[in-house]
Amino acid sequence: MTIADDISVSRADRPERRVSTLPAKTILLGLLTSIIVVFCVLPFLLVLAISFGRKVDGAAWVWDFTFDNYQRFFVGVLWPDEVTFLYLQQLGFSFYFAVIASLLAVLTALPFTLQLTRLKRTSQAMWLVFIMASLSLSEVFIVMGWDILLSNNSGLPKLFKETGLTQWLKDVGWFQHLRDWGLANPRNVKFKTSDFATILTMSYLVWPYAVILLYPALSRLDPSLSEAARTMGASRWTVTRTVTLPSIRLPLFGTTLLLFVFLLGTYVSITVFAAPNKHTTAVAIYSNIRGANLNAPFGATQAIMLLISASACLYLGHVFNRRSEVR
Amino acid sequence: MSKLNRRTLLKSGVAGLAASTLASPLIAQSRSVRIGSYGGYFENSFKEHVYPAFTEATGIAVESITQPNSSDWLVTMQQAVAAGNIPTDISLFARDSMIKASRIGELIAPLDLSKIKAASNLDSYFVFEGNEGPQGVGAMSWFSAMVFNPNEVETPTSWADFWDTDRFEASLGMGRNYNAGLFDFTAATFFDGTETMMSNDGVIAILEKIAELKPNVALWWTAESQMEQSMKNGDVVAGQYYLDVANLMALDGFPIKPTFPKEGNLQDYGSWCLTAGSDKAAEAAEFMNFSSDPAIQALMSRKIGTAPLVDKSMTDLTDEEFNFVSGAPAIRPAYEAYLDNETFIKESWDKMLAAS
Repeated sequence: MTIADDISVSRADRPERRVSTLPAKTILLGLLTSIIVVFCVLPFLLVLAISFGRKVDGAAWVWDFTFDNYQRFFVGVLWPDEVTFLYLQQLGFSFYFAVIASLLAVLTALPFTLQLTRLKRTSQAMWLVFIMASLSLSEVFIVMGWDILLSNNSGLPKLFKETGLTQWLKDVGWFQHLRDWGLANPRNVKFKTSDFATILTMSYLVWPYAVILLYPALSRLDPSLSEAARTMGASRWTVTRTVTLPSIRLPLFGTTLLLFVFLLGTYVSITVFAAPNKHTTAVAIYSNIRGANLNAPFGATQAIMLLISASACLYLGHVFNRRSEVR
Repeated sequence: MSKLNRRTLLKSGVAGLAASTLASPLIAQSRSVRIGSYGGYFENSFKEHVYPAFTEATGIAVESITQPNSSDWLVTMQQAVAAGNIPTDISLFARDSMIKASRIGELIAPLDLSKIKAASNLDSYFVFEGNEGPQGVGAMSWFSAMVFNPNEVETPTSWADFWDTDRFEASLGMGRNYNAGLFDFTAATFFDGTETMMSNDGVIAILEKIAELKPNVALWWTAESQMEQSMKNGDVVAGQYYLDVANLMALDGFPIKPTFPKEGNLQDYGSWCLTAGSDKAAEAAEFMNFSSDPAIQALMSRKIGTAPLVDKSMTDLTDEEFNFVSGAPAIRPAYEAYLDNETFIKESWDKMLAAS
């Protein structure tokens, strides 16, 4: 509707000659609108409708209008006899991994991108093409790669063992601490499953996005500002803290927020690298909808709750942005 | 102009649709049937060894349909049938998915057992009686077995050995799904088996025992390939895995060995089910009859690695061939509890895993 409204308003201001091209434009816009409705709005409404459905134990689910699934999300299926915050905990871990991984990606991409903008134009282009190309690797490939790199016989633990690092850790007694933290078995160090492997893979996954999103803002940075500050006697760190960072505050924040929302739905990295006590809402959604128990309504409920949480974060980010702009 | 184009397009679309619906009776005349099985090595073996033998014996051509597995296929079937399609004439379902399909209704059709005489070779447990009569004929069976790395650990003799932290700290690979087997192993080892699974208190007691195993589990796998890689890579040194695949891996020289502990291994089985609304009931019955023949059961054991559903004495399998795919004792999954109490069991299981 809004698109159509815009067209009629702008048509009034335009010269007569352009009016003749409007039907084609209207058709195109109408087509695009219907594509968005059919492929975006309708599936979303379907998920919303299914989330009110009811699961029949031992069979599938049926259409209904019940809030039981939403109640279950907050307090568990046995409420009021018993309360569990299992699903809130899973949502919490969705946030935990997404926040840390997006921050890590942005913080490591920032110095890299800064250096990148100081290179020659041709080298910049080559780096950007290389980074863009790495985006063509799917999550499954990346996880598979890290899985091998962290495996006992072919990866980092093998390196630990062959270089004698494992033996050294055992000799000085630190190996026991690693075992206590779940980073070793009696034979060698192990990195699967661990927060370390999960966050590493998730950061790696979005790192190219971080570079590409930061690049425009950083390449527009005026070098004369920091040069002026330097000539006035400010140290390198002071310049970064008081000149560079404040001037890219908004893109920095926007990038982190975008990557965070993107990472909220990570599935493969979590299933492979995270311990089951830290599994997230995305994993729970899958195990309900596909998996063995065919509980699409509860899966849909969790998807809606994840979406609401992500939207809330985006909204808060927007408010925060506007406030800092006013200031 | 654009309207005219759209109309032409619509017309040709309708014509195409009509042609495809008209085409199906034509194929029916030459006797064919579409059969679903789990994609990959499994389906390929069927296409290479079983279907050609069936076509030779009956003259009925087989079109192989790829299923991802049982439970996901049930979702696909449900959606397809709701949309008025029949994705395959025969599906391969594990028992729990078959019971669900039967309860959901209008997905799998009742079978005429008088046309599937060879089904009498199977134990009656493998011919499924649904609400509307017999709805599934056993196809083959598979074991989820105890496996270990013979280079790293001594042969475990009981599932209880896995609880020994001195031997298996952070070293096991177990199934992640609540119905993957650990419930059944634990119930058979420390409790009264399936019976304990029937009450909520029993389920909680089993889960408390499983919680004690958590420090020893390094991998909770969902995809078969995860466990395969972890055994090959030495990330885990023991756990549960499919008997036939473990034997194949051992033949390829990988450090894995399946064993039957004194409580036994988990035996699940697949059934052929006729899709409701399929007009190939007669061809389907002929195929089910064919696959229930002891000779074909033995063929599948040799070529696909599945356990036969007929008594070993009816087949010509040697002891060595039989032990490659089967063994004793067999633990049967607590299907009834998994189905009737699934929401409670799943949430309790997830809670157990999520507790730190």
